[in-house]
Amino acid sequence: MAKEYRQNRLETTRNMGPLVDKHWADLRAAKEKGQKVAWSAGPAFLLPYAMGMKCHFMAGYAAYCGGRKAADQVIEAAESGGDLIDTCSYHKLHTGMFYAVKEGIPIREDVILPIPDLMISARLCPEQSHYGESLAQRFNVRVAGIDFPIPRKKEDTPKIEKFVVKQHKEVLIPLLEEICGKPFDYDEMRRILKVEKEACLIRNECWEFMKRKPATWTLWDYGVSIAPIFYMMGNPAGIEYYKKLKAELEERASKNIPAILPDGERFRIMWDGWLPWAFLGIFIRKLIPNGVIPICGRYPWEFFPHPEMIDPDADDIIENWVHQWYGGQNIMWHDFPGGALELIEELIEDYSIDGIIFFTSKTCRAWLAHPDLMHIAERKFGIPGVLIDADMVDSRMVSEAQIDSRLQAFIERMDAMKRR
Amino acid sequence: MEEILSKFFEISKDPYTQVSKWKEKNEKKVVGVYPMWIPEEIVHASGMLPVVLWRGDEPVTIGHAHVPPFNCGITRSFTDDALREKLKFLDGMIFYRMCLQEISLEFIMEHNAQPKPEYIGYFYFPAVFDRNPALKEFLIDELQDFKRDMENLNGIEITNESLKKSIQIYNKNKEILRNLYELRRNSSGKIKAKEVQAIVHSSMLLPKEDHTRMMEELLPQLEKRKAATNGKIKVILTGALCQTVQGDLLDLIEDLGMEVVDDDMYVGSRYFALDANVNGDPIQALADRYMEDEPVCPTKGEWAKNWGEHLIDVVKQNKADGVISLLIKFCPPHLCWYPAVREKLAEEGIPHTMIEVEHEVTSLDPVRTRLEAFTEMIKGGI
Ligand code: SF4
Ligand code: SF4
Repeated sequence: MAKEYRQNRLETTRNMGPLVDKHWADLRAAKEKGQKVAWSAGPAFLLPYAMGMKCHFMAGYAAYCGGRKAADQVIEAAESGGDLIDTCSYHKLHTGMFYAVKEGIPIREDVILPIPDLMISARLCPEQSHYGESLAQRFNVRVAGIDFPIPRKKEDTPKIEKFVVKQHKEVLIPLLEEICGKPFDYDEMRRILKVEKEACLIRNECWEFMKRKPATWTLWDYGVSIAPIFYMMGNPAGIEYYKKLKAELEERASKNIPAILPDGERFRIMWDGWLPWAFLGIFIRKLIPNGVIPICGRYPWEFFPHPEMIDPDADDIIENWVHQWYGGQNIMWHDFPGGALELIEELIEDYSIDGIIFFTSKTCRAWLAHPDLMHIAERKFGIPGVLIDADMVDSRMVSEAQIDSRLQAFIERMDAMKRR
Repeated sequence: MEEILSKFFEISKDPYTQVSKWKEKNEKKVVGVYPMWIPEEIVHASGMLPVVLWRGDEPVTIGHAHVPPFNCGITRSFTDDALREKLKFLDGMIFYRMCLQEISLEFIMEHNAQPKPEYIGYFYFPAVFDRNPALKEFLIDELQDFKRDMENLNGIEITNESLKKSIQIYNKNKEILRNLYELRRNSSGKIKAKEVQAIVHSSMLLPKEDHTRMMEELLPQLEKRKAATNGKIKVILTGALCQTVQGDLLDLIEDLGMEVVDDDMYVGSRYFALDANVNGDPIQALADRYMEDEPVCPTKGEWAKNWGEHLIDVVKQNKADGVISLLIKFCPPHLCWYPAVREKLAEEGIPHTMIEVEHEVTSLDPVRTRLEAFTEMIKGGI
């Protein structure tokens, strides 16, 4: 009789819901309390945080809104305001929110965003500047831009890093000082990074349990746990969360309790792409019965930041912060296909990967050259891959039939490889 | 006249044959530059022929193993061509950081182009945003790197003088294209939209000196041409980033009683809108041109100006009756800007419709229906 695999949910992750709810509730209430609000596309949100602004981070909001199953509603509002179906759905979550607020279109209370005093577009993906354009042109929001190029070659990194630092110092900081009417708060930035460093050091220890066979937790568990070190940076509750998580993982490991029952995974896969926030359940319910668990991936926030590189006492804290992206561990370089291959190879090795799901969004092409990466990874590393094209939050883009048939073939290939 | 026009059509329809023949005859290197903002003048100054990369008119086949079907026409068609050895005459390909779909091409070409050209370049031209000094400085550094690469590729030093000379040659061609548009504006129905597109597209493919010469011959003859019918609905076409649109679509617009009096398309007025200054430092001049805010380019992170306002000006200047947005299917920069343009035109009471331009057109019937409704709307208002 075929083995019946079941998910073995972590206790700690149940604590995340209330933490996240509080974060977004505070943001919603910010305006009433007279606080300034920023929206941020790309990773510059730490700076408004340091100024005491409440700041939403675009992908974090998408994760939250998608996870709450409210994305379709906001996207519908965007399209009623003129956006088209092929437009990036993260973009539409924002234009939709604005349009809904402006036109009084009812949106679920718990996903409403306050209208910002400032929008920061850190242009990693050129489309992130389109948010700025839309909000500036259609809704008269003040916008600030930081160009954040992804290096095509590793050796291009220093010049790009210098350029990004310069923009932080010469553009963003003066603007924040003007909007907030006070000098930039470097001490607060250092404090946030100190908390971040501490939380991330513990998180890194937690990752070790994913390397274990059988794994004691999955990438999906990490997806649920990502908020404290991502858009809730600087909140000491994150440290507590990761301490609890680590303790639970240690206990599981000591008793040999795996992430899926009865006795751990059959296949360990890498998930290369955005996490499908609104459909985490759909995917995991398709994977687990086959003994498949997602273990790691190339989601940029997944390995961000590298706490050992954070130096809260650095002479130049802005340089130290930007270096997180470009220096040492090459987070940005790993977003270009050449760098991606390097990271994929490392992850296959470190996490004993059996196969890779290349998850592409039909409205986002940020996962550059996905089909090529799949072919090359198969050829070079002997690891089977499958392309799934869907969306992170827009349910119209997700075809379960396509997913089922592709996953089936993928699992069969992993199986055949294992039997060899 | 007809002879020159048919030459332009021939070049535009089959750039593969035309460009490779030119290369064979002139024994010079040919470098394909990706639309829309790579300064061709730098390639020209190094003694090579720059050609603007194009969308072919064949359905995509093996290219789909590398580029998903939900990417825009030119990225798919170009990839397909490069894999099918249709671009083997290119000694170089140059890309820059414009949109996600285009950014992928550099890697795809590195790994799959048949044959791989001698040089594949990629530059990080920045967004223009608020035009702060950091952006401009970075852009100038990139242009210097670009210049150095071209010098290395052809073994010819680019001096300030040679670059200025190239800028002059390019400016002259732009000027003559602007004259063509002036003629179209002032003499109703003399030039078909399809002809205009073929003329501008040929300028992207021929040496500018040759194109200018042909235009100098053509323009006076066109002036003498008899105008077609008058009293048509005057429209402005906008959009169509990076690529030509099907001639049949342009014909359909005219067949339905509309006359294209001006446009705001890439293979159109955008291509020749901006000269570079020939006085002063030429790299600085090319950077200044990139930093211009008109015509509003949706790929450059433009916030200060609204594309719709630019269109309103074009409409007024031409006393046009309406605007047709030609939105390349799956083109995010245009997609993201589209609602703002639509709103601006609506605020101004300018009739507007949008056509999604697909690479593989199976039938123009749905487009016809949409355009008919548009003409009815305008007639109702006229
Ligand atoms: S296109 Fe992709 S990377 Fe760019 S903003 Fe949208 S979701 Fe983010
Ligand atoms: S700007 Fe638009 S048309 Fe041009 S390559 Fe990008 S997606 Fe395609």
